Amino acid sequence: MPAKFDLNDSSLVVIIGSGAGGGTLANELAQKGISAVVLEAGKRIEITDFRNDEDGMFALFTWLDPRTASGSWYVGQTSPDLPAWICKLVGGTTVHWGACALRFQEHEFKTRTRYGGIDGANLLDWPVDLREMEPYYDRAELKMGVTGRHGIPRLPVSNHGKVLFAGAKKMGYTQFMTTNMAINSVPRDGRASCQQTGFCVQGCTFGAKWSTLYTEIPRAEATGKTEVRPESQVLHIEHDKSGKVTGVVYADKTGAMQRQKARLVCVAGNAIETPRLLLNSSSSMFPQGLANSSGQVGRNYMKHMTSTVFAIFDKPVHMYRGTAQSGIVMDEARLDTKRGFVGGYQMELLPQGLPSFAQNIVPGAWGRDRASIIDNYVNIAGVWLIGEDLARETNRVTLHPNRKDQYGLPIPNVHVDDHPNDLAMQEHALARADALYKSIGAKRTVHHLPFPSTHNMGTCRMSENPRDGVVNRWGQTHDIKNLFVSDGSQFTSSGGENPTLTIVALAIRQAECIADQMSKSVI
Amino acid sequence: MKTLKRTRRLSRRGFLKGSAATVAAIAATHGSALAQEPHAPEPGELTPQEIRALVIFARDLFPHDRLDDSYYERAVEPLEDEAVKDGHTRQILVFGIGWLDGSAKRMAGAPYAEVVDEQKRIAVITRLREDQSAPAGFFEKVYNTTIVSLYNQPEVWPKFGYEGPSSAKGGYLHRGFNDLTWL
Repeated sequence: MPAKFDLNDSSLVVIIGSGAGGGTLANELAQKGISAVVLEAGKRIEITDFRNDEDGMFALFTWLDPRTASGSWYVGQTSPDLPAWICKLVGGTTVHWGACALRFQEHEFKTRTRYGGIDGANLLDWPVDLREMEPYYDRAELKMGVTGRHGIPRLPVSNHGKVLFAGAKKMGYTQFMTTNMAINSVPRDGRASCQQTGFCVQGCTFGAKWSTLYTEIPRAEATGKTEVRPESQVLHIEHDKSGKVTGVVYADKTGAMQRQKARLVCVAGNAIETPRLLLNSSSSMFPQGLANSSGQVGRNYMKHMTSTVFAIFDKPVHMYRGTAQSGIVMDEARLDTKRGFVGGYQMELLPQGLPSFAQNIVPGAWGRDRASIIDNYVNIAGVWLIGEDLARETNRVTLHPNRKDQYGLPIPNVHVDDHPNDLAMQEHALARADALYKSIGAKRTVHHLPFPSTHNMGTCRMSENPRDGVVNRWGQTHDIKNLFVSDGSQFTSSGGENPTLTIVALAIRQAECIADQMSKSVI
Repeated sequence: MKTLKRTRRLSRRGFLKGSAATVAAIAATHGSALAQEPHAPEPGELTPQEIRALVIFARDLFPHDRLDDSYYERAVEPLEDEAVKDGHTRQILVFGIGWLDGSAKRMAGAPYAEVVDEQKRIAVITRLREDQSAPAGFFEKVYNTTIVSLYNQPEVWPKFGYEGPSSAKGGYLHRGFNDLTWL
């Protein structure tokens, strides 16, 4: 039974957001007997509402509240009103994610030490390392049913994967396989196995893909310790004279303002909304925003180096058939500065349905050359290149100086100037993917530079020293003991891997810290 | 309302196909509701000539020989509807089409939709993209609307070999997700 809590109940944990971070945290706390209210800005829909419809699902679940972008990055030019493609619904971006569940590599937790000081970057070591994270990665993988781990079989290879792997083999690569996916390869945990539907990103109609919407959240509710309030957008976090947070003000589904009291508050609104909320919660005591004595709230925004290569063959591939992103080449993910950059990148399958492909390919171009690419749709294979981008203080989420949202609050602006390292990696990755496909007979390759960011990280980063970041090794803010950050905003570096598994592992770990500190009355 | 709209569409189609016989045939099949040709234009409605220019323009932007004009006619319908609802959009479209026609007459001796040589129409569009005095927002409006409304037609998908939604058919697990043998 879902709980129903009073607005004046000050014994509760308030969790803002219900995605990979917030949804997981709610369930982990509930299993420990800790009561929480989850305030989710978006609606609650169910699996039966999912459609194999790219544009329809985009409109249904995308976070479309106004945002702006600035800076020299490609997305700033091509998509200035939609810098990120993340979701606004119960389950958050876990409804939409491709489900690649990769661990960070050891060196990626220690970039300042391993990469050294790099001009124009603001590198810092995480206060945790891989060894400390491993048990939590294990638990996250077991929770999510990650294939290729803990004896769970891998998914079968699709046509699209066969093409990628044939090219990888020709290139002399050795680390290619169907990816560690949080998608059931066999029925598991009360959920069906993958039917190779091909619409992972539109919401899995079979529930084979892990999403907090139908795993963590109903399990949390079943304990009687969790209440999820959809269409409840938090506008401010409040604090008392001592600087401790006391609750939140949110707009409910009617637009009415409500004040929910709290013992502690965990913010998991993804790396744009989380810092925006802290900045919008400024007060006379905290004029720079909450938990911002370091000045780092909103800074060090990372979105990964990304690009896509589509290759045209003279025979059919049918890239849209099958698990969307289940195929990876990991050979370029290593740290090898002889390539001319620090960090590494993964090569992951990226199919698109005809409508998305035809709408996105060669943005702004028209005429017969562009149309000829689309005419070859069935013969096309696509690979997404996703690698580490470097933290920069000036890449940041700020409050817009004059544009306001529907509640009268400043909208966020996302500013990014690519670091030369990001561009060097991008150039390398595009050339390698071109060579991979050409090695098996591609007639032509077409580059697609970044789409709106689906990976958003770093804007409330972890640091050992409170001067360098916003949260400590548990995601607890340095400045305010009973305020936590529970999403990818905590990331000190971006790694070259999809972030969700690490977000889930951190949430499991954070729940232990919260339970411990509550039991000792530290918070 | 629906009937009215359908009437409008069908009558327009009849005109666009340039065949009085088509209109008569449709009217005969569908009964008296359609026997009111030509209908009085709704306020704000684009003229058949303007619609024809948009159809040719959409094809020139996204030219697929495998698609007949009916797909492009459907692709410009959202523009027609918006023109009726929103005077600003109508103005952008009418000015833009006027510019296309004027330029086509100067450059190729005929209104845009009547220029048979595709290369000459492309020259007009290239000019539209480069000329600072061309009406602002017209290209973007047509491009951004029809790139969605053309490729989102499920009837278009099989023309490109795309099989589309699969959940209702049990996914692609037993329908060829791994049938590739040419490698």
